[in-house]
Amino acid sequence: MSIWLNYHLQAIKLVLARMHNNKLSSFMICLVVGAAFCLPGLFYIGVDNLSKLTDHMQNETEISLFLKLDASADTITKIDALLGKNEAIKQFHLVTKDEAWQKLKAKSETNDEASDAVNQLTKNPLPDAFFIQAKSADPESLETLRNELQSISGVEQALLNTEWAKRLSSLLALGKKIIFFISVLLAVALLVIIGNTVRMQILTQKDEIEVSNLMGATSNFIRTPFLYAGILYGLFGGLLAILMIVAVVQLFNDSIAQIASLYSSDFSLALFNAKLFVTIIGMAIAIGWLGSYLAVSRAIASIIQVQKSR
Amino acid sequence: MIKFDQVTKRYPGSDEALKNVSLNIEAGELVFVTGHSGAGKSTLLKLIAAIERPTSGTVLIANQNISELKPSAIPFMRRRFGLIFQDHKLLYDRNCFENVILPLHINGVTGLEAAKRVRAALDKVGLLHKEKAMPITLSGGEQQRLAIARAVVSRPSILIADEPTGNLDASYAADIMAIFHAFHQVGVTVIMATHDARGMSASQNRVLHLNHGALNHGELNHGESKIEGSAS
Repeated sequence: MSIWLNYHLQAIKLVLARMHNNKLSSFMICLVVGAAFCLPGLFYIGVDNLSKLTDHMQNETEISLFLKLDASADTITKIDALLGKNEAIKQFHLVTKDEAWQKLKAKSETNDEASDAVNQLTKNPLPDAFFIQAKSADPESLETLRNELQSISGVEQALLNTEWAKRLSSLLALGKKIIFFISVLLAVALLVIIGNTVRMQILTQKDEIEVSNLMGATSNFIRTPFLYAGILYGLFGGLLAILMIVAVVQLFNDSIAQIASLYSSDFSLALFNAKLFVTIIGMAIAIGWLGSYLAVSRAIASIIQVQKSR
Repeated sequence: MIKFDQVTKRYPGSDEALKNVSLNIEAGELVFVTGHSGAGKSTLLKLIAAIERPTSGTVLIANQNISELKPSAIPFMRRRFGLIFQDHKLLYDRNCFENVILPLHINGVTGLEAAKRVRAALDKVGLLHKEKAMPITLSGGEQQRLAIARAVVSRPSILIADEPTGNLDASYAADIMAIFHAFHQVGVTVIMATHDARGMSASQNRVLHLNHGALNHGELNHGESKIEGSAS
């Protein structure tokens, strides 16, 4: 056990020393890995935050129930009772046409044009309306509720304001698919990049591999330092990607806070997304390992082959 | 210990490098392999060290047939040998100490124990004072001695040397030969390919003479024949 541990520590030390000796090129490789992971990571953060935002908005959706203009007080009480019995409804309130009219007038006073337009109206054009909040935020059940409400007699129109939210969330689903494909493509590119890097390192260490092989080193013994090199490139690259993402998010947050304040919201991008960061590092390490494994296995096979045919 | 039975080795696209060679080497022997260049000396050594496999015939090392060894077993077979090459095959990106410690790391020996054994091996070849030096700064003879230190540090039971004195002048070569004799004295089997007779003239040792891939009879300086080579 301690021999095994010692051996792995030796391998890591060796690789770190090699990286230290080639600081610039090691840094470049990590930078490539970092940039490649930064891109889908940022995209993910964008989509993730947008979908949180739409969830938030969907929670606030109301169904507006506009009654027919000639609805009598009787109809209103009937509908009121009906809504009170409906289990899907969390709460509702009535805004009568007179209240709505007063509100409109009060609001339009600050705006001359609107005030003129309102004053020209001789008769109140507004209907009585119920504003309903449903218990569930799920678009489908909202839709059924809306249809149900629409069929009540005396109702002119039941309006659900989630159409745009639905569109946005389907766009976001598309965005998530795009992220997936970009990530897969970049992962393949990284496999090749890391594999190539490790292959070049193997070429510079051809003698060592050959001599080790002649002295009875197992393939695992030869392979291990290169695998650690791949893993470390992935690890450092992943950390760089996270740094870049945090920097970019920080940069964007200022302008986002400005926009959000225009909409009187305190929305901002979450700076730390533990799940994303762990995923990035995990993926980077896995890709680093796999890339160097493929490269080193091929290289060892060919070096041993050359040595045999000599 | 080492037994060849009618071994033939043919490389793709060339003649037979070894033809129908049978021989038997006992533990503790000092054996010279001689012959003109291209006679198959290196091939013979590579077969012994399990670097090559015979085209036909059997090679038995410690009663194991190397043709039937699994690839995963070959590294462990090789650890029985200390290999020394004419071109040293030293690693020039690390100092003498680190060169010699490599076989110990391969064998899983690390730490103080490894350092002790490296210094002992360097001491044996007279390079203890150069442990921090880079191999490129050593003379040809010193580099060869370093290669010997590396070969013996893991205490192999068989030393295989391919023309270890090939590139050296007479006084260096005598040093190297003395080192090999010293290992033979303590019971190590030594098999050495050489084209010059200076090192072996003084001693009563076995000589395997190869001629165009075939073993010649009658080269024995000692006792009864253990060689049944075919006349080509």
